[in-house]
Amino acid sequence: MPQATVPVPPLPVRQPAYGPHQAPGFMTAVMRIFDLSLGTMLWSRRTIFLGLVVGSPIALGILFRVLEVMGIGNVKVGGSAASGPTVFGGMIWLLYLRFIVPVLGIFYGTALIADEVDDRTITYLFVRPISRAAVLVGKYLAYLVTTVFVVLPSVVILFLLVVPLGHGSLAGSFPALLTDLGLLALGLAAYGALFAFIGAQFKHPLVTGLVFAFGWEQLALALPGYLRKATIAYYLQALVPHAMPAEGLGSVLQALFRDVPSPAVSLAVLFVMIVVLLALAGRIVERREYVLEQ
Amino acid sequence: MTAKTRYFLFGSALIFVVGLSIGVVAYYGGMPQSLFRSGTGPAELGYVPADATVVAYANVRDVMNSELRQRLRTLGGVTDEGRNEFKTETGIDIEQDIDEVVAWMGAKTSSGVENGMMIARGRFDQIRLEAVAREKGARIEQYHGKSLIQGPVEHAEAGHHGRSEMAVAFIEPGVVALGTQSQVKQAIDRPVGKNSITSNGDMMARVAKMADASFWAVGRFDAISSQAKLPEEVTGRIPPITWFSASGHVNGGIRAVVEAEAKDEEGANNLRDIIRGFTALAKMQAGNRPEAKALWPNVELGGDGSKVVSVSFAVSTQLFDAMTASGHAAKKLHK
Repeated sequence: MPQATVPVPPLPVRQPAYGPHQAPGFMTAVMRIFDLSLGTMLWSRRTIFLGLVVGSPIALGILFRVLEVMGIGNVKVGGSAASGPTVFGGMIWLLYLRFIVPVLGIFYGTALIADEVDDRTITYLFVRPISRAAVLVGKYLAYLVTTVFVVLPSVVILFLLVVPLGHGSLAGSFPALLTDLGLLALGLAAYGALFAFIGAQFKHPLVTGLVFAFGWEQLALALPGYLRKATIAYYLQALVPHAMPAEGLGSVLQALFRDVPSPAVSLAVLFVMIVVLLALAGRIVERREYVLEQ
Repeated sequence: MTAKTRYFLFGSALIFVVGLSIGVVAYYGGMPQSLFRSGTGPAELGYVPADATVVAYANVRDVMNSELRQRLRTLGGVTDEGRNEFKTETGIDIEQDIDEVVAWMGAKTSSGVENGMMIARGRFDQIRLEAVAREKGARIEQYHGKSLIQGPVEHAEAGHHGRSEMAVAFIEPGVVALGTQSQVKQAIDRPVGKNSITSNGDMMARVAKMADASFWAVGRFDAISSQAKLPEEVTGRIPPITWFSASGHVNGGIRAVVEAEAKDEEGANNLRDIIRGFTALAKMQAGNRPEAKALWPNVELGGDGSKVVSVSFAVSTQLFDAMTASGHAAKKLHK
């Protein structure tokens, strides 16, 4: 007896937005990688380090505030007590721009690709039908969002803690805070792009990054001539809104930085640096053959 | 993106936005000064010695940006002549470079030299200002690591009788002290806040009331009366006053409050009577001109039942317009 055949409806196939045989566009790929990397980056062990680095100025601010409230003492610059805005300006320049921003750039920027290589997971990303440069740019954006969302709120908290010290005025320092926030975001973007390039190009990116940030940049800024133009700090310091302390280390730095580019030039150079360094890093990642150690 | 990541980003953005909002509110003057401040009054009070008898403050930025000043400027009541002259002499543009000024006055020294100093906060190009000073023949020396600009050499050698040589010093980034050489040196020597007026409870209690004023002055009345060299007939008739203060807020017009603290309630009542008398006299004089009567500021006398006598008044922009117009008319008549 012939069996009656029941027509089976075809299983619904989920159609990707870009078609079954079509790779996603560059920006779509960037956003996918960004989405994937953001959570990974934010909840990695590095975040503990990030928290410590960013939390220390806040702890310092609380300490200053407690000392002042208790009448034990106040912050001194060159032997005389400094007002809150001066202390805040010094912390932004010396702690954030000269230390925290480059350090975060080194630890996150150099690891964008290097971490995937070390964990042998780079293959999973590179076998996808997306541009390798999109992987780098997506990870770079995730780095930027992670650091910006941690550093900038910490600066705002520090502002509220430190600026009122010694009769400082929040209102008077507020325009400088806005400049500082923009400056820090720009610094994170510039150092991130530089160290993403170093991470893509060099075999030991962490060491190379540390040598660049705390060796080359310090040396080049101290030397007369044009060498300082090959640093990021040279262009960032032209945008710093705070007057530097009048003596001691601050005075030395001020004397060194007297020859500063105009803000427009600095902004233009920093934007060009970010674009060029990211493009170079993307090109290297596209062309490089990654051999994973067994 | 996981929920945990979303919460983190949301929390971070919230802290950022709340912090910035506090800054915006403070910037536009809507925040009580005492909320985040760790001290009363401007930071420069830390440079004022504890024994200062009169302290005054002006928020130059507020005054310069005020609607009133812009209005007076368009009406020709305010010219740039004085400002330009000061800029040529010192290299400082009052409108652009100075944010706030604190000045103090103390008792005369044993040698009869007047005591006092002005401290200005703003944006000063130290190198340019030093160059301007050198051009004018000033001497620049380093004193405890700070540049001290002293008056021209010939002035110093001439040794003005009873007056000490003036000096300017950049005492901290963005802060300039201008006063007698000895006072400026003392300001550099004295750690900020230590033995300063901020430790003078009587003075600071009065300064605390001046929050949010565009300008104010607080002091002991005996210091003012001795400096003013008032005739005995006047001083003999004024009830004994211990403290005085004056504060004002400038925007479209001026709102001002003048307070005097008498030794006792009886003295305060006498003072109120004198003020009432003067106000009535002025009103009577203005009574002949109805247009002047309409513009007369609303004067309020306060502090009944206490030692403090306060007079508050508001001067509207219309009054300034009328004053400027009458000034122009007088000039035309003079020509």
